[in-house]
Amino acid sequence: MRSTRRRILAPAVLAVAALALAAGCSGSDNEKSGPVSITVAGMPTAQQPKQLDAFKRKITDFTAANPDIKVVGDEAVFDIRTFQAQLAGGKLPTVFYVPFTEMQGLIARKQIADITSALPADSAVSRINPAILKVTKDSSDHIYGVPIQAYSMGLLYNRDLFKKAGLDPDKPPTTWDEVRSAAKAIQTATGVQGFASMTKDNTGGWVLTTMSYANGSTIQTVDGKKATVDNDATRSALQFYRSLRWDDNTFGSNFLLGYNDAMKAFAGGKVGMFVQGADAYSMVVSNMGMKPDDFGLAPLPQATNGLGTLGGGTVAIINPRASANEVKAAIKWLEFDNFRKYSSEQEAVADAKAKAADKQPVGAPALPLFDQATTDKYLAWVKDYVNVPRQNYASFFATAQSVALVPEPPVKAQETYGTLDTVIQAVLTRKDADINALLADAQRKVQAIIDAG
Amino acid sequence: MLMAFGLFSWWPILRSLPLSVQRTNFLTTEWVGLDNFSRVLQDPLLITASLNTLWFAVLALVIGFPVPILFAVVIAELRRTRGLASVLVYLPVIFPPVVAVLLWKAFFDPSPTGVLNTALGWFGLGPLAWLNDGDLAMPSIVLQATWASFGTATIIYLATLMGVQTELYDAAETDGAGAFRRFWHVTLPQMRGVLLVMLLLQLIGTFQVFTEPYIMTNGGPENHTVTILMLIYRYAFVSGDYGRATALSLLLAAALSALSWIYLRATKRWSTS
Repeated sequence: MRSTRRRILAPAVLAVAALALAAGCSGSDNEKSGPVSITVAGMPTAQQPKQLDAFKRKITDFTAANPDIKVVGDEAVFDIRTFQAQLAGGKLPTVFYVPFTEMQGLIARKQIADITSALPADSAVSRINPAILKVTKDSSDHIYGVPIQAYSMGLLYNRDLFKKAGLDPDKPPTTWDEVRSAAKAIQTATGVQGFASMTKDNTGGWVLTTMSYANGSTIQTVDGKKATVDNDATRSALQFYRSLRWDDNTFGSNFLLGYNDAMKAFAGGKVGMFVQGADAYSMVVSNMGMKPDDFGLAPLPQATNGLGTLGGGTVAIINPRASANEVKAAIKWLEFDNFRKYSSEQEAVADAKAKAADKQPVGAPALPLFDQATTDKYLAWVKDYVNVPRQNYASFFATAQSVALVPEPPVKAQETYGTLDTVIQAVLTRKDADINALLADAQRKVQAIIDAG
Repeated sequence: MLMAFGLFSWWPILRSLPLSVQRTNFLTTEWVGLDNFSRVLQDPLLITASLNTLWFAVLALVIGFPVPILFAVVIAELRRTRGLASVLVYLPVIFPPVVAVLLWKAFFDPSPTGVLNTALGWFGLGPLAWLNDGDLAMPSIVLQATWASFGTATIIYLATLMGVQTELYDAAETDGAGAFRRFWHVTLPQMRGVLLVMLLLQLIGTFQVFTEPYIMTNGGPENHTVTILMLIYRYAFVSGDYGRATALSLLLAAALSALSWIYLRATKRWSTS
């Protein structure tokens, strides 16, 4: 749900971006074809020297092929707290990257460019998996961005703790009952908390939503007009939480966990299992030092009537102030920057080599952005640089196509998640919490949030 | 200096006035009249947040206000170690706020091996869930906030006490006044101007509490620590709704202005000036 790339902008970068903008890359007076200048986010920092070199080389290659387009790199990364200010101050790069979960709000507030008519007919975008592309569309199928990587949510588990508890790390739980007994086994054998969940900053509701999907219900109707929070699937997810917390005592004692808290606890071997995006690999292994072989990832257990799981990922968006020409140039660039590795072996190898040299994961768990064949071809090209034990995620990859990707609640997803956070906190901090009453209350609140518009 | 104030303080304040009656995405702006205000007032969380903020203010007043006065009076009595005591008392203030809050978040670890729970264990008490307990969460936050800020108030009171003429104490002692009566009849009246200002500043400060609950609980558990400023933050930075955020900010500013006015009127006779 959260972008893993959250850093405060260096003032110098702001200044560079400001100069670039002042130099004439913004404004809508640039409608005629002719030279155009765009600023593009996604430039690696100096801490990733090989990738920075690769990025600069890409700009050189791109401008050689497109002499009319000037490209200025920018290290800016998405932060919900600065996005509005960047937009208001005209400092938003022409091409910018945001997490999936922000798309709905950005589209509703009309803060990103509608690129439907600017997409060329032969664009690679038309080949993107429709379930993934859906995150960039509004209710009338207009497209507001280009997904560049995607993952589904799954069950993360610590393979080392599984071994110590006498469980087979290659056979992760496939039902919630098995999750429950694995949590008990881990806690009994190792003393480590068997299961955990994020519970605050809207992340608790995010996880509860995907668990509801897995149990067979959405929490809003498809048209986003009615809340459907008070349903049996969500009820059974909460009962699962209650059993682990109050009957088994395998849920730990801290129930105010945000994204980073949970990731740190997992990376540090203090948690056996939790539900999280499959993209967590990069953060817990590359940034938080978990051993690659300890990181386990299983598909989210599905009930017989399970609907699937939530997805996440990164979307390239375009500054709404960009002129038509800039939008065209921006689409050209972002396809060049992100998709050339799927069509050019040379580019795939160069990209993988730079990542591996900077100690970033190559081949980390993700969903195929296009089709499985494209992903397989890409992986064959870069096989010498893959530094992720992909064999450990066999069960996850095996179901990547069969477990459906279910979209987020269509209206006010973040506020809906926030309402569910309090329900989860109630169930985990109060033994006498009345799940039925809590769900009925949440149902009213979410409906009020939807109705408020 | 004037430029800095103008640009970063006064201009944003003025700018918030129109923003509160607009709906904007910073590209196009629509005038919506009092719609933002009515949406704020209809938010069911507003009552929760207001009561929580009031509860924080009351707790901070009961726990946080007397503590620095007591410390100042005791330190003023010290002769040789006064300097050292002042430094020790002031130490928590030099912690950067976020670091201090994170430190206490670790102290409040609800497991039996948490720092505070281990300490309670020595006396056969606990373990307590601290921030994870709806009833204890706010008092825990007040405990941290008091620890973090009482040093500054203590130093200010100490400076005031040092200014009290010693002849007054000598005279009181000659008249046979004990320690408590000296405090009541000499110290307090001498301090009351400072006390009144400090009380008002503390009230305004506590009504704007944000950092501590934001970092420690983000409003949880079950909205027991959601404060008004946190709502403003969520409107602006989670929902991207600056209209609603500025509307609530203005309501809070109006409430605080009214509170200050009433306070100053009510204490006019008691104050020295």
